[in-house]
Amino acid sequence: MDTITRRQFLKATGAGALGAAAMSLSIEEIANAAITRPLPLGTPILVVVTLYGGNDGLNTVVPVNDPIYQSLRPGIAYKPEDVLPLGENLYLNGSMSGMHSLWNKNQVAIVRGVGYPNSDRSHFSSMAIWQSAIIGAAKTGWLGRWVESQPEDPFLAISLGSILPPLLAGSKRSGSVLPLGGLKVPNGSLASDCIKLAIESRSDNLLQAMAAKTMRNLFTVSADITPILRSPAPAAPDLPTAIGGNAGGDTNLSQQLDIVAKLVAAGAPTRVWSVSLGGFDTHADEKGSQAILLGVVSQGISKFMSQMRATNRAKDVVVLVYSEFGRRVRGNASDGTDHGTSGPVFLLGERVKGGFYGEQPSLNNLKDDDLAVTTDFRDIYASVLEKVLSTPAEKILGNWKGRTPLFN
Amino acid sequence: MVKPDLRPTLTPMISLAERRRIARLVHRFGFGPRPGEFSNLLAGGFNQAAEKYLSVASQDAFADSQDEPAVRDQGKRPAPNSPDVVSYATEKRAQLTSLSFWWLDRMVLSEHSLRERMTWFWHGHWATSYQKVDDALPMYLQNQSLRRNALGNFAQMSREMVNDAALIFWLDGQTNTVKAPNENLSRELMELFTLGVNRYSEDDVKETAKALTGYKVDKSSGQVNYYPKQHFTGSIKVLGTQGSFDASSLSDFLVARNDSALFITERIWYRFISSMNPLTDTSLTASFASRDIAALVKAIGKHSALDNPENSMVKSPIDWFISASRALSITPSKFSNPNNIRNYLNLLGQLPFFPPNVGGWPADQAWLSTSSAQYRIQFATQLVKEADLSPISSLAPKARIDGLADWLGVVEWSSRTKMALTGAINDPARLALLALCSPEYVVSA
Repeated sequence: MDTITRRQFLKATGAGALGAAAMSLSIEEIANAAITRPLPLGTPILVVVTLYGGNDGLNTVVPVNDPIYQSLRPGIAYKPEDVLPLGENLYLNGSMSGMHSLWNKNQVAIVRGVGYPNSDRSHFSSMAIWQSAIIGAAKTGWLGRWVESQPEDPFLAISLGSILPPLLAGSKRSGSVLPLGGLKVPNGSLASDCIKLAIESRSDNLLQAMAAKTMRNLFTVSADITPILRSPAPAAPDLPTAIGGNAGGDTNLSQQLDIVAKLVAAGAPTRVWSVSLGGFDTHADEKGSQAILLGVVSQGISKFMSQMRATNRAKDVVVLVYSEFGRRVRGNASDGTDHGTSGPVFLLGERVKGGFYGEQPSLNNLKDDDLAVTTDFRDIYASVLEKVLSTPAEKILGNWKGRTPLFN
Repeated sequence: MVKPDLRPTLTPMISLAERRRIARLVHRFGFGPRPGEFSNLLAGGFNQAAEKYLSVASQDAFADSQDEPAVRDQGKRPAPNSPDVVSYATEKRAQLTSLSFWWLDRMVLSEHSLRERMTWFWHGHWATSYQKVDDALPMYLQNQSLRRNALGNFAQMSREMVNDAALIFWLDGQTNTVKAPNENLSRELMELFTLGVNRYSEDDVKETAKALTGYKVDKSSGQVNYYPKQHFTGSIKVLGTQGSFDASSLSDFLVARNDSALFITERIWYRFISSMNPLTDTSLTASFASRDIAALVKAIGKHSALDNPENSMVKSPIDWFISASRALSITPSKFSNPNNIRNYLNLLGQLPFFPPNVGGWPADQAWLSTSSAQYRIQFATQLVKEADLSPISSLAPKARIDGLADWLGVVEWSSRTKMALTGAINDPARLALLALCSPEYVVSA
């Protein structure tokens, strides 16, 4: 079989594939780069939000008046008074009021029924497909390949957290990581000892060379910049993940977005940011826990957008929100849902042409109890590459024809 | 007259390849050598070392006499703001601490490391997190089951796991009923636990979920109760076979498949030989024909791939910490500030009983980042302060660099590391710290 597990994927491409170790940056280094060579105003910036676990699209963009929706989901279905109107007889989850007001300002695009042919219901395989944009054995992430198409710059694409997501892995060069909590660099004689220990040796094998390099990076932090940003607080979960949390992902999206906002505002020369939230694997007691998670997503992103409006970067930022699959239409007996197929993708920002894209999968036309895929996710990626990252999609996605006209 | 033999009477020179093979055996199938152990193994050669490391021991002086962790059924959490809630929460925290250090001590102090090494492997395989289970007793019961079967029969282990309270609760099995099956457990049972991804169909996931209905968890006690009325009794079709199954018979059916032998062989290979060079020699599965885990582990440990220089591996944070503790004669629970240990393991990303997701922990490159380098340096600084350094301080300075390699079970130092160590030759604590942070120790070459 040519699809692969996430572990195999991480092995091939993750946190520093051979020859493409993820550089770990400190907040001071990024702040320093922001001072010395700020991103020119008007340069588009992409913020990718990955929702791990498989977000239930039908309870995110809700066909609340559809009798099939109501009848297939006793215990999970929302009532009309719980949800926020979007038009076309669709409604937004009631916990997403922040994103709803951006929708009303025409700054949110919702692409419906997004997926790919022959949906894979394994978290790991499906996330590998979304993050690589390759169906089958993949060695690189779509934005990792974009990094490699650009002049070398460790600040170009940064993921929050200490492990590089496959999304940013390239074959020779990868995106960088910004661990939350900042770096504490040794000093004094310990520092001089460790610097000696971190020199590359000709007898090192690949992994030893990588171990030496990661230690070396500790000391490349410029010591004498005036930090324009305080170090972030230690990573602190801001919501419970007891339910639906066994498919990975981070728990502190709002903290991650807060740091991204500060660094974008400071002028970091970064075109792509990657953040994530886990906990969407809602096999049981879905309604309450998904609403909390979507509330975090909506609040975090709308706060981020308002932080951007306070700077001169509001016109530059585009946020992309996706998950590895949607969930089964019919609820299970645990008041949850099992792994499904397509789901909505959100794009937000002043560059985005707000409104619906793609066809809402019909509940009359389920295939094996699952939603149809009406838009291929690579259509969205292709448009993002061309309109946000100013890169021909062919370079990254090969000969992919589909586009979604999402941008002004 | 016989001429006197003037050659120095050193132990016979051992080849670098032999040294590497023994070092890998000790670090991967055990948790690294205790002081003096590596030199003894070198003197006896690989075959003798393999016999010691790859055999199932009937007795273990430490493990057999270790006290049980202080975990017990606490019942349900008292109502918020009730007077009992504080003592409940305090004890809950103490139970988790007790359980965690009970296992860390056991990994460090067991005489025969293979059983703890394999228990650790299976914990990452049937990866269940306290994060959701939120009671120490079911985690302990699962851990005991994994240890009991760690080198036993995989069919028995799998049967116990599909009936295990912590695992069932973790994967929502307790809410899986005949009316509307919950597929979480059935999918992971096939994808991550017994067969491997894509060795089953989506229909198989739906069908096997039915066989796993009717099991309810009483979480705080770690008991699983079977409710026949909620179990699907009809016939299901799984992997082409029609039949009526419950959790145990489904487990037996899956484990008996050839794909299961291949999958478990692949997983052990991935953790013990190489995550970067996947299993190609599928003839190894023959040693798992009867699902005897000990036989498979022995075959993999003796496989020629253990010689291949390309199959180096990064020590995970637990590998690194436990092997350092063994060499430094540190008992985790007796550390002056034990919380420091859990804190650093958490920062490094590998706390026992808290795997990041049901797929277990990552491997190799994932453990190499600048932030992990800084935490390793800080952690080693703490450890060295409480170490028994006599294996190094007792040596003459010029013997210390080679002595360090033998003490820690390092294959060989690079010229870079020799240079760094030479600068610290008169300071055993600094030598130990640098050696523990060196690329040659962080990576099992």
